Formats: sequence, structure tokens, C-alpha cells
Amino acid sequence: MSDSSISKSELTPDVETRQVDEAQTSSPWKAIIVVLVFVGFLGFFIWALNNTSSELPSQLIDRPVPEFSVVDLIDQNTVHTPDLFKGKISLLNVWASWCAACYTEHPYWNDYAKKKDLQIVGLNYNDKKNKALYFLQTQGNPYEKILFDENGRLGVEFGVYGAPETFLIGPNGKVRYRHVGVVSPDVFVKKFEPLIAKIKQGF
Amino acid sequence: MKRLLFLLLIAVSFQLEANVSVYEFESIAQEKRFQQLVAILRCPTCQNQNLADSNSIVAEDLKQIVYEKIKAGESDEEILNFMKQRYGEFILYQPEVTPSNAMLWAGPFIFLMISLIGFFVWYFRNKGEVTND
Repeated sequence: MSDSSISKSELTPDVETRQVDEAQTSSPWKAIIVVLVFVGFLGFFIWALNNTSSELPSQLIDRPVPEFSVVDLIDQNTVHTPDLFKGKISLLNVWASWCAACYTEHPYWNDYAKKKDLQIVGLNYNDKKNKALYFLQTQGNPYEKILFDENGRLGVEFGVYGAPETFLIGPNGKVRYRHVGVVSPDVFVKKFEPLIAKIKQGF
Repeated sequence: MKRLLFLLLIAVSFQLEANVSVYEFESIAQEKRFQQLVAILRCPTCQNQNLADSNSIVAEDLKQIVYEKIKAGESDEEILNFMKQRYGEFILYQPEVTPSNAMLWAGPFIFLMISLIGFFVWYFRNKGEVTND
């Protein structure tokens, strides 16, 4: 017991001086690696903390819209099928009278409709007819056609999980993009316009 | 007054009960399959809940679809595929191992191996140097 403690204390000076030597020659690299790893982890954690997006990717990107046959919200005698997307670029906006964010978003579509650029189709999702019509009366109606999805089944076909959601659909009937949440002028310029330009060029 | 309050409370409790959807099955086996499926399917809106625990609009719709499909005689696999086609791999609480996420599954073990190897290399090297002195 006492032997070992003596030998240890005898050893320590040697070891320490050698470690100092090593530190002078090789440890700058070690230190750099340690700092790099640390900064890497720190960066990852900061990114992960700020990456609060819970947006799910749509399974429909570059695929044709699902088959459906749905009655129009306003005109009960009209039945819509995927044919309504053929031959023109369309925006399909999922909305409902119970969706608070839809009230925020709606003025944007009212403005957009005045430009008469793309066809705007509404998808009234999991709603009551009278409430949906009241929404349009009070908030305005930017839609050329409105699919009335009373029980949310068409929404499920589109992979909708909240409102508002907006799909960009090409003239070939294929979905190009899905945005979850409110579309603002900023979102439209950044996310939709580049793709619309591409589609117009034939891509 | 007390009696009136009591009756009112009972009336309210019935009302609350009426809000919970009830699914009726032909057999206990069917009901068990339903419970299992809504437990392993994630609610796409409230992403830390499964369908069973969620009352969100889309979760109610999806539960109803699972129910109808079980009654129509579809297999678990068919139902899960239906959900995956529409909502993606995310809808499964325990995602399957695919080439794109294999690194996530294997990553922790690879890191553990690297650090163990690193530790032993460091440990034996130091030990050797100390005893040599």
C-alpha cells in the first residue's frame, strides 16, 4: 500500500513533464479536432432546436391527383372529377369555416383571384354546408369551383392533415407542390412562383 | 336545489359521453385489431399522439376509415398501406427500416463502436507508457 503510493508520487513528475512536451508538439491538432467536434454538435443542436417545422412531405408530389367524384359546394348539380385540372395550371386551396388560419389567408386569395392568372379551386374540408356558404358570403369567394368534402374523405385522398393547405397542380393533372399553412405574398413568391414559371416553360 | 344540480350534472355527463365515438364490431378479434392499428398509427396533425389518443379532425376521419376497412374485411397490411400511400412513412409510430433511414437506425451503434475502439486504444496506449516508465 505504502509502496505503491510512493512509487506513484515518484512517477508523477516524469509523466507530467512528458505530457507537457506532448502538449507542445501534438496537441494543437487535438484541440482543433475537439473544438470542431464541439462546434459541430453545437450547430446541430441549434439547428434542431430552431427546426420546429412539423410539415409533412406530400406523397403526391409529381403524381396525378387522386381519383374523385365530388359535388360542387354551391351548385349541387355539378359533379367534379380530376378532369377539372386538365389543361390549366391550378391552385387547390383546402379551407373550412372552422379553420381560424383560413380567415387570415382568405384576403390573399381574394386579391389573387382579381389577377385571373391561375385557376383557383377550393376544397371545403370537413365542413357544414351552411357554415361554408356563410364563410364565402362574409369573407368573399375567390374560387372558380369548390369541391364539397363534407366527411373529409377527399382530404384523406390528398393527404390533408390540417387547413389551410394549398396544392399546385400542373396542366397534366400532376401535383407539383403542397404548402401547409397560410399562403402569404412572401410564401407565394418564394415557394409557388418559381415552380409556376417552370410549369409555364413546359417542365 | 341540490337535486336540480345533481340532475343537471348527470345530464351534462351524458352529453359528454355522446361526444365519444363508439365503434361496434362483430367479434372481439376485430375490436382488438382496431385497437392495435389505431395505437400504432400516428395522428398527422398532433404528431406526438397516436390515432387512439387524438380527437383532431383528421384523426377521427382516419379512425373511422380503419373501422370501415376492418368491417369490410381488409387485412392489417392493406390498411397500413392505405395510410402510408396518403400520409407517408411518418404515419407509422415505428418506421420501417429502409435504405433512406438505415443510417438513423445503425448510427448509434456505429458511434458506440467508434467510441469504444477509441477509448481502448487511448487506454492501452497510456497504460503501456506509464508501466514502461
